[in-house]
Amino acid sequence: MNPRSRRFNWNDLIRTVDFGLRGTKSMTEEFRRFAERWEKASQLLIAGKSVHRVDAIDKVTGRAKFVEDHFFDRMLHVKLLKSTVPHGRIKEIRAERALGLAESVRVFTATDIPGRNQVGYVISDQPLLAESKVRFHGELVALVAADEPDLAEEATELIEVQYEELPAVFDPLRAVEEREILVHEERGSNIAERTRVRKGDIEEGFEDSEVVVEATYRTGHQEHTPMETEGAVAVPERGGMVVIGSIQYPHLCQKITAKVLGVPQNKVRIVQAYVGGAFGDKDDMGPLVTSMAALVASKTGRPAMLTYSREDSMTSSCKRDPSIIDYKSGASGDGMLKAIDVKIVMDAGAYANRGPFVLWRATMHASGPYVVPNARIDGYLAYTNKVFEGSMRGFGNPQVQFAAESQLDELAKELGMDPLEIRLKNLLRPGSRTVTDQLLERSVGIYEAAKGVAEASNFKEKWETHRKQRGERRRGIGIACGYHGISISRGVPDWSSAYMNVYRDGSVLVETGICEMGQGTWTAHAQIAAEILGVPIDRIRVIGGTSDPPDTGATHASRGASIGVIGVFIAASKLRKSLDEAAAKLLGCDPGDVEVKEGKACVKGHPEECLTWEELVTNAYQMGHEMSATGYFYLPRRTFDSEKGLGHAYPAFSYIANVAEVEVDVETGKVKVVAVWPGLAAGKILNPTLVEGQLEGAVAQGMGYALMEELKFKQGAIKNPNFTDYLIPTSMDVPDVKKPVYVEDLYEYGPFGAKGVGEMALIPTPAAIINAIRNATGVRIKEIPATPEKVYFALKGVIGGPE
Amino acid sequence: MGGLSEFELGRWSIVIPRFEYIKPGSLIEAFRLLDEHKGEAKPVAGATDLLVKMRDGVERPTYLVDLSFLDELGYIREKDGQIRIGALATLSDLVASSTIREMVPILGETAKKMASWHIRNVATIGGNLCNASPAADMAPPLIVLGSKLELGGLEGERVIPTEEFFRGPGSTVLRDNELLIEIRVPVMPEKSGASFQKLSIRETALSTVSAAAWVQSSGGRIEEARIALGAVAPTPIRAKHAESALKGQETSDGAIERASKEVMRDISPITDVRGSKRYREEMSVLLARRALIQALERAR
Repeated sequence: MNPRSRRFNWNDLIRTVDFGLRGTKSMTEEFRRFAERWEKASQLLIAGKSVHRVDAIDKVTGRAKFVEDHFFDRMLHVKLLKSTVPHGRIKEIRAERALGLAESVRVFTATDIPGRNQVGYVISDQPLLAESKVRFHGELVALVAADEPDLAEEATELIEVQYEELPAVFDPLRAVEEREILVHEERGSNIAERTRVRKGDIEEGFEDSEVVVEATYRTGHQEHTPMETEGAVAVPERGGMVVIGSIQYPHLCQKITAKVLGVPQNKVRIVQAYVGGAFGDKDDMGPLVTSMAALVASKTGRPAMLTYSREDSMTSSCKRDPSIIDYKSGASGDGMLKAIDVKIVMDAGAYANRGPFVLWRATMHASGPYVVPNARIDGYLAYTNKVFEGSMRGFGNPQVQFAAESQLDELAKELGMDPLEIRLKNLLRPGSRTVTDQLLERSVGIYEAAKGVAEASNFKEKWETHRKQRGERRRGIGIACGYHGISISRGVPDWSSAYMNVYRDGSVLVETGICEMGQGTWTAHAQIAAEILGVPIDRIRVIGGTSDPPDTGATHASRGASIGVIGVFIAASKLRKSLDEAAAKLLGCDPGDVEVKEGKACVKGHPEECLTWEELVTNAYQMGHEMSATGYFYLPRRTFDSEKGLGHAYPAFSYIANVAEVEVDVETGKVKVVAVWPGLAAGKILNPTLVEGQLEGAVAQGMGYALMEELKFKQGAIKNPNFTDYLIPTSMDVPDVKKPVYVEDLYEYGPFGAKGVGEMALIPTPAAIINAIRNATGVRIKEIPATPEKVYFALKGVIGGPE
Repeated sequence: MGGLSEFELGRWSIVIPRFEYIKPGSLIEAFRLLDEHKGEAKPVAGATDLLVKMRDGVERPTYLVDLSFLDELGYIREKDGQIRIGALATLSDLVASSTIREMVPILGETAKKMASWHIRNVATIGGNLCNASPAADMAPPLIVLGSKLELGGLEGERVIPTEEFFRGPGSTVLRDNELLIEIRVPVMPEKSGASFQKLSIRETALSTVSAAAWVQSSGGRIEEARIALGAVAPTPIRAKHAESALKGQETSDGAIERASKEVMRDISPITDVRGSKRYREEMSVLLARRALIQALERAR
């Protein structure tokens, strides 16, 4: 470890710095002025419509270039040498045989890093390449470069690494107690982070409760399995470095890459290639692969391409944090939640990475979207000698919602209520306070969403009939809700920015750091710019995912087409204001009477007095109007008390209610999901087709998490780093995802009132499926994935199953 | 299929070791090549198993003899009371064949439960058998149908019952210079029926357990029954104890139940990433029962 590296403590920072209260008022007011115009608009022409994706033609014609589609002269191919022990000291790395294989072979280890070998995200605990010690089986020890990929791989196999094996710890519950085996000795403990919420008085809450239920829930690892694995290609250029990568946050990649190379950030230019799936993986892994490719390129002066094989991706990229959740809940006789007492232990693996924030999110969402007057929630993040965990769609939330929503069904059963009834009684409404005591003044549509999907799925009737079934194949229906804080949390600064340029021919460029990874966010960006400027969408070109425009923040936390796009909203509004003024002079009317739509500027009510968009732009240039603009927005913030875990946790929440119907083969334990009804309250739906795509994908990924995806370990090594035995749903397995119920609970700081969508439908899907299994069989599954074997033995009442 | 999970952990390679690729123009040429490079050459058709094994270093042939262009072995036809399937017929061919659909539908049903569409388009029935995975789905139905395999080489042909083909995981009675040529399946007699049952975590994934049954009945009695299981022993196996328990029995639920339990005497499952020993045991009994019930229904 570098002695200079000090743990960066967000809690200290947040207590001492009053983020965001200064200087943001006028910015907020400016945004509100721009936004009001559209709130009053009688109709929107482009925003809210299912326009075609801006990247559709590139993708269907095969022109879209992903990382591996890039090729440069004299390019080196880089392969990974990975640790073969879960915990050990590196005694010696012998590369002579590898280097002797061919002239082009080069080997790079930690000592070759010119800058800092430190890529930890929240805690400075993670080297890019292992230094003196390895902490998990599959950790990167060296990079091997050669002219040809096969040659690099062959060379990799010739490198001999001698380890002094150390005792390892794999079980997170043991790890938190462990004093002898420490994953990071210098930290003195395997607890990487602690979180808490203390609200009201739980003793009193449980005393007031008529019924109390208590259980332990477990969730497993989930691998992102993006179709395109991690990768980047670095090209030395004009005294700097261009890195093309499969990434989610160009500016973070730039920052880390510059740090590793030991150069200023302006020497590193990051460009996002088309991304073949990300799901959070590319957020965490992006900076690592750009740094490694750049390291090789900078050491050799040659372009360098690094791509993970599928096995590399399975063994050595971050996963969804597994969790063990002890959950106790109490409710009054009329079904009102009185108290929850929750302990969350998350397995961080060898490095904390985003874990502290994942745990934080899990902690602050542990109640589910319900009013809970008394709460004690404790979170522990444990280091173990396994692959490190990190960002993944839902970010800690699916784990706790699985527990919270299972508990709610059990409470309902004790009370003789149906699952819908208990939810409707407790769901958050406008004016409610969350478990962290955050007041939700408006934009809380979960009640209507839950009611809507219950009606659409005929929930009550099915639930009553299904639970009386007998026989070997039984249907079951389950409901689960979820909420998700949009963008990043508590006092951590969050902003949006963008750059826009109207060229002299009237075509428009939007530049942003927001990344397109299949979700369609650039299409939403183009829709927003076109709507505000009043031009057809084909006049807009969006170039995103580069480090060239101002730092826009990451494309994560469902923020891309919500908070991430506000910069575009503001930049376009500024341009529109300037153009309205120019048009008013040209048309001889008041700027307020100018109407620009479908590429024409007219005097309101006089459709004959018009200028074309091109005429307007040409004249505006000549009249001295600035035709480029930046948009910047810093979210208004309030305070958060980290000691008690109370206060303003997130700027906004999106809400989701899913109903799932399953068929259970009770003789084999096999579960088939027949249909899912999603109900979404995420503000304005900017593009219904794209939102449906997000919901369907999230349901499929949530179903895989709930029923089949399971990493198996043997002494810390992953036994199934392949698609033969790590099973994900195929298109044939995806259930019928019904037409969504939308509740457009507009958000005041969202573009046209939009909140986030990307992660939503995954969050309650495991709980909805498990609740449906309960309805079908009367058995509560407390551990996911609920593989046939697990369900079978649970049905047989065998505690813990076989072996 | 298979192999991967048992390989030395942590040495996942993505390099397929160098080999020489040979494309014979005829079956005779293929025999000659195999004979010439005895022990160093591997025949390959769909390559869906072999290439994976080579990538893992489980197989390191010097020569690959590519059979996939030998159209002469891609047939499915009926002749002299037998359905003859060329070893190079793909799983998709089995699904699409009207001969199969009309005469031994169980083979098409089985093929449809194997892998994804893409794999089925290249994976061959011969490859599935020669790969000799204990979980090869084609094996149990072919065994219960009483099929035979024609093996050929420069020294001539021999015909053996399918169940005698397998020796252990990845191992068969094929000699280095021999090829599986044809699968011969007797046309199902009157009053007979067959069924294939498969259990896996995902529909088209590798079987945790599979079972096939074939039954001939008359006048409410089981004249003869054959049962075979996959993924519960070192090879696909026949459950002879269960079969004899059924012979001559009335077709009652009780008889089927009792006979199904007898499969325990023939199987020897292990615990691996796909399932535990105990789950496999209990599922073997269940799938045998389900296969028998469906086979009997079809025998009516």
